[in-house]
Amino acid sequence: MKIKSFFTLSALTMSAATYAQETTTSTPLQISGSADVYYKYDFSKKPNIGTSFASDQNSISLGMLDLALKKTTGKASFVGELSFGPRGQYGSIPNGEGEASNADNSFHLQNLYMSYAFTNKLSVTAGYMSTFIGYEVIVPTGNFNYSTSYLFTNGPFQNAGIRANYVFSPKVAVMVGLFNDWNVYKDVNGVTHFGAQLTVVPVDGWTAYLNVLTGRAAGATGTGSIYDLTTTYQITDKVKIGLNAADYSVTNDNGGYSGAALYLQNAFTANFSLGLRGEYFKTKDVPDLKGSNVKSITLTGNFKAGGLTFIPEVRFDNGSTARFVKNNLDPTKNASQFSLAAVYAF
Amino acid sequence: MHRNKRSGAFLFLFLLLFPWGSVAQSKKTGDELEKDDRGKYIHYEVITGNAIPVDSLIYRAKTFFKLKKMTSIGTDSALFRQRGKFVISKTAFVLSHPSGEMLYHFAFETRGEKYRFWLTDFVFVSYERDRYGNFVPSTAKGIPLEKSPGKLNAGEWSSYINDTGRQSAAFAAEFKEYLSASQQAKPLHKSNSRISIKSW
Repeated sequence: MKIKSFFTLSALTMSAATYAQETTTSTPLQISGSADVYYKYDFSKKPNIGTSFASDQNSISLGMLDLALKKTTGKASFVGELSFGPRGQYGSIPNGEGEASNADNSFHLQNLYMSYAFTNKLSVTAGYMSTFIGYEVIVPTGNFNYSTSYLFTNGPFQNAGIRANYVFSPKVAVMVGLFNDWNVYKDVNGVTHFGAQLTVVPVDGWTAYLNVLTGRAAGATGTGSIYDLTTTYQITDKVKIGLNAADYSVTNDNGGYSGAALYLQNAFTANFSLGLRGEYFKTKDVPDLKGSNVKSITLTGNFKAGGLTFIPEVRFDNGSTARFVKNNLDPTKNASQFSLAAVYAF
Repeated sequence: MHRNKRSGAFLFLFLLLFPWGSVAQSKKTGDELEKDDRGKYIHYEVITGNAIPVDSLIYRAKTFFKLKKMTSIGTDSALFRQRGKFVISKTAFVLSHPSGEMLYHFAFETRGEKYRFWLTDFVFVSYERDRYGNFVPSTAKGIPLEKSPGKLNAGEWSSYINDTGRQSAAFAAEFKEYLSASQQAKPLHKSNSRISIKSW
């Protein structure tokens, strides 16, 4: 009896699926995601380098399980992306919605937004989205290196807001939008940030994004503005080059940072690539505190086997001040680490 | 009792996870791609005994290219070359997302009462999920379908080849149907006629 009910249910489900496929204006529900784990060893035996996410010393640790849903019906679409684990919860997104009583109540949301394409060129998107600023992203499948740059760690992770995208041609597009403060689900001082992005494709394979995001966050004593250039150029089928440069300032002598990261990657085979990231990052002076800088070199391999990618990596950081510690906790200007990560994409 | 429950649950999981029509598993129905004299994969057909005037045939073909949003890459008297793409999707039951796109060149040529067409120069561009959860090309430079990806990705690559064969055959069938005399002219505007249920 139960088996019979089960088959009836299955048949109904399959009919529904068939119907969905026959509806020409609706795409099937897309489900995708990733999972990642890592091991990191800092050679001073202390967690030293201020990289996001891969922070546990001498431990086989979790990244996150990421699940993304997307559905398009006619001109409307939605994306919902949930993440579970250190990287996708307290490592990158706010816990709770700002109320003290919900401080430990994570929503697990990386993306939750709706889009409507008014025409082939104009679309409007509203919700909580990964930031449009910067080269690197939270989801590990979007990065070549496993450890993250200082520019990524110090920049915004997500922006909730409403934005309009207009595609002038396959080579030029513009986005303008109004946003909440960085990395919050709701804004307590109103929608105070303005953001814009100019996308340019000078030649086939080369894409450049010029970004700006400016506004006064709740409780801030100045207006923060970030100007960002993110560009990638696939020179040949093996060689790819990327650049991220950003400048962030907060008015009224409230500091900020600036820096640049260069990415060079070479695919030696279809399954093995090697990439080098070099970064310079500088914090700005504030009254009574002089800014400092740090230089970083990261060598990363990507071994692919189907959906699985192994990412061995070594990284060397050198600061203008003694910002790291030795094994005996004496301050030092240098730090180095090795990590091995496994990332599965589906 | 427990056993029944367990086997029921197993069956349910099996039905849910079994890759129904999974990634491009093409059935053995003649959809497989052949290799041409350059060693490139090709779907090639010659249609003989065609009764449609050549100019009508060409007009219909051009309309078809527009409908499919193909890009012209050259015309040489009776030979028309176009560029197009298929999306290759991973599918397991009702779960699906695009894995990449297969770019191809399409050629169409008429001669007397026959015409021929072929799809070739297949190049695969893999997709990656961008920061907003959308699938977008991961590179501007694709990989020719003939290029061996190595042992590690051989299974996946083989499914791409199969799916390209299946989609090429479906595309060819649609093209032939569009060019055939049996197709009906589609109305340009929706009919304004209404159905009345007042009298019957």
